Amino acid sequence: MKIRSIILIAALAAALLPSAQAKLNVVATLPDYAALAREIGGDKVDVTSLAKPTEDPHFVDARPSFVVKLRTADVLIEGGAELEVGWLPPLLQNARNEKIEAGKPGRVVASQGIRLMDVPATLSRAAGDVHASGNPHFMVDPIIAKAVAQHIAQAFATLDPANAAGFQANSAKFETEINAKLQEWGRELLPFKGQQLAAYHDSWVYFAHRFGFALETFLEPKPGIPPSPSHLADVIGKIKTDHIKAILVEPFQNRKIAEKVASSTGAHVVDAGQFPGPAESYTAHIDQLVAAVAAALK
Amino acid sequence: MTGGERLSAVTGETPVFHAHPPCRRTPSIHPTTQKISLAFTLKKYLAALALCASGALGAEDSKPGTIQDQLAAMQESIRQMQTQHQQEIDALKKQLTDQQTLIEALQTSAATSTAPPLPSGKGEAAGPSLTPPNVPAPSAAPPKMEFPTTDDALVSSRAPASAQPAAASEIMPTIDTSVVAGPTLGGPPITLGGGSKMYLNISLDVLINAAASTARDLDIIEVGDHDPIHRGFNARNTELVFDGAVDPYFEGFANIVFKLDPQNETSVEVEEAFAQTTSLPWNLQVKAGQYFSQFGRINSMHPHTWDFIDAPLVQGRLLGPDGLRGVGVQASWIVPTPWYSQLILAVQNGEGGTGFSFRNTGDDGKFAGRETIDRQLRGIQDFVFVPRWESAFDFGSTKTLLTGISAAFGPNDTGANAHSQIYAVDAFYKWKPDNAGGGWPYVKWQTEAMYRRFEAGRGLDDSFAASEIFRDWGAYSQVVWGFKTGWAAGVRGDYLHMTDSQLTDDPERQSRWRLSADLTWFTSEFSKLRLQYNHDFLEASHFLGGRDVDSVFLQFEFALGAHGAHKF
Repeated sequence: MKIRSIILIAALAAALLPSAQAKLNVVATLPDYAALAREIGGDKVDVTSLAKPTEDPHFVDARPSFVVKLRTADVLIEGGAELEVGWLPPLLQNARNEKIEAGKPGRVVASQGIRLMDVPATLSRAAGDVHASGNPHFMVDPIIAKAVAQHIAQAFATLDPANAAGFQANSAKFETEINAKLQEWGRELLPFKGQQLAAYHDSWVYFAHRFGFALETFLEPKPGIPPSPSHLADVIGKIKTDHIKAILVEPFQNRKIAEKVASSTGAHVVDAGQFPGPAESYTAHIDQLVAAVAAALK
Repeated sequence: MTGGERLSAVTGETPVFHAHPPCRRTPSIHPTTQKISLAFTLKKYLAALALCASGALGAEDSKPGTIQDQLAAMQESIRQMQTQHQQEIDALKKQLTDQQTLIEALQTSAATSTAPPLPSGKGEAAGPSLTPPNVPAPSAAPPKMEFPTTDDALVSSRAPASAQPAAASEIMPTIDTSVVAGPTLGGPPITLGGGSKMYLNISLDVLINAAASTARDLDIIEVGDHDPIHRGFNARNTELVFDGAVDPYFEGFANIVFKLDPQNETSVEVEEAFAQTTSLPWNLQVKAGQYFSQFGRINSMHPHTWDFIDAPLVQGRLLGPDGLRGVGVQASWIVPTPWYSQLILAVQNGEGGTGFSFRNTGDDGKFAGRETIDRQLRGIQDFVFVPRWESAFDFGSTKTLLTGISAAFGPNDTGANAHSQIYAVDAFYKWKPDNAGGGWPYVKWQTEAMYRRFEAGRGLDDSFAASEIFRDWGAYSQVVWGFKTGWAAGVRGDYLHMTDSQLTDDPERQSRWRLSADLTWFTSEFSKLRLQYNHDFLEASHFLGGRDVDSVFLQFEFALGAHGAHKF
């Protein structure tokens, strides 16, 4: 009994006392920001991602345990552009953490400095669940990822000046790596430049732009609106006439619908995730994505 | 602060102002401008050289042969140099106008939050897609400017990076200014996308119910104020929602509800209007205003977020048709444990219909059969105190349990010294798989149990025959299964036990149970249709007979405006 209460007190004390380690506690809303944070921060940061790589980033449950993570965060990296609007605000209202308030150096909004595509000229939900600031799925463009990495490095450097040089060096290293990788990815995908892709949801406009694909065929009739039979019939017709070879489907989307479309058109279903896995690096993830798309187009 | 200091604050450079205005130098000359003025200086110098040369030509006219040839050669080379410099100047001018266009584009996008024309992503070559400038090219920039005309600290003026020649081996560009704005030097990137452009989020949420029931007195069968209370169409919850940051210290929220009664008269209810702190130290938060007490689970949820059309029996009968809410102050503390744990204490007036079990004079001045006394606040002991402790636990990445215990203490209006105490436990469990799309599929289980000890006094001037103590309790449990994207089915069981008083025939004090089933189709995130069936059984009491009631409701909800966020 005595031992147990001592252990309990010790555990409680450990939980209550601020941790001695000086590592930056980084919380990323999505796994792609977490991957960049690990890349830049190395062993000087602890990184947690709120959303899972297989999860729909628009519909993450605001689990109370996220409040605990946000409460002690030194840095919050979010996408902005309304991607997390359905779940992040109540978490932040409850987290009461001054360090990650909007405008503080600890709050990194990744879409800052990015010229978002598909900015709606008029705002109307008749067009589906549009984002007023533009399409928020920008991290699949490696050039944009470099800018976000730089942004993250700046934030880390501000908050942990002792390791600033290291963060900047990692950012530069990441930039060099992406520049080299881009040539590799280009060699794989540029032979298919100008080809059309189809996708379940409009999450790939930046990827298409980067590698010169046309992307205007979506299984969803409008963003966030589930596929209807009549719309799918149109899509099947379009895939056939335009000889579209690849349909990009994310882990949380209805693969069966995509398979149906694929089987009646001869197109390939490409399992394409926007997000790297918990231990996967950003470049490894894009490697996989590029290979999958290239395989489908061959 | 002097002008010089302000400038140095902006440019980060030491100002080099001289005492006399005519001798003022610009504190920082933009590199490009420097190049241009240098080029112009060169040009002037060359022109002077040419003049000297022609002068020399005039003087040494006597030796026409070789000298003239040499001079001609010199003139030719000067001409060549001039052309070359002119080309350089033109290139620099073009660069400058390009940058101005970029700056303008950025300013426009910053002002209107609309991005400049972008590549459509339909297979065109990557690269800057800025159209040639329409702005007049700046004529010769003055070599010495009175005042800086560019400021790197505020406006990115890096040359469009893609203008730099790509290495021969590069088949892919590694820079693309059409998607990434140049970072400001040393500062954070320019805001182009993201972030709200409004001070206030506004939304409107409308619930329309159609009700059919075997009971004529649907307002007795249904216990919540926003439930369908009469047969036919009901519009009991048209809600305007506002929220936003007040200032760096507070966030503000308001829910204004418009209700239509059976006579189609509108009544307005300030359901909630409160501000809460954003950055108190030690994990504390204080809120003040009119708000739902955080008692149990469903009490603080707005009806459009419920899983069923109507309020559970125990909620409507023990906390009241309007729920437990009121004007007051609440403090909460997140306990620094590795799991989520929060302690909350609210102090509220607890007066009127929204303090139902407390200082509530009741309908027509009667509550629990008694003529009520309108007890005024005598001291701090007459407030309602609402403590709550909630905790949450994750089971793996797909399951979450949120539990809480709550209580509410305060006086009631049935006697000079009558008090009420309500205690509750609640649990909410949700399963959602790792690859849920659009939020589906899921299973949610929600249960609440409440117990109320109500000291019913002898009423106004001891007019009632006797005082009694009611020990009322009840519980509900519901399971909702989101079985297919956009669809959810639910079942709910409800039980309410009210002490059977032999002294009052108050129909609200009838023990009863209810079974409900519903099916919801979320047409989108912003609209839904819900069909619900209720079977109610009201137990016979000392005064009232028992009866069965069947009801069917159809609900339509639509929401306009700001995208709402969902609490867990």
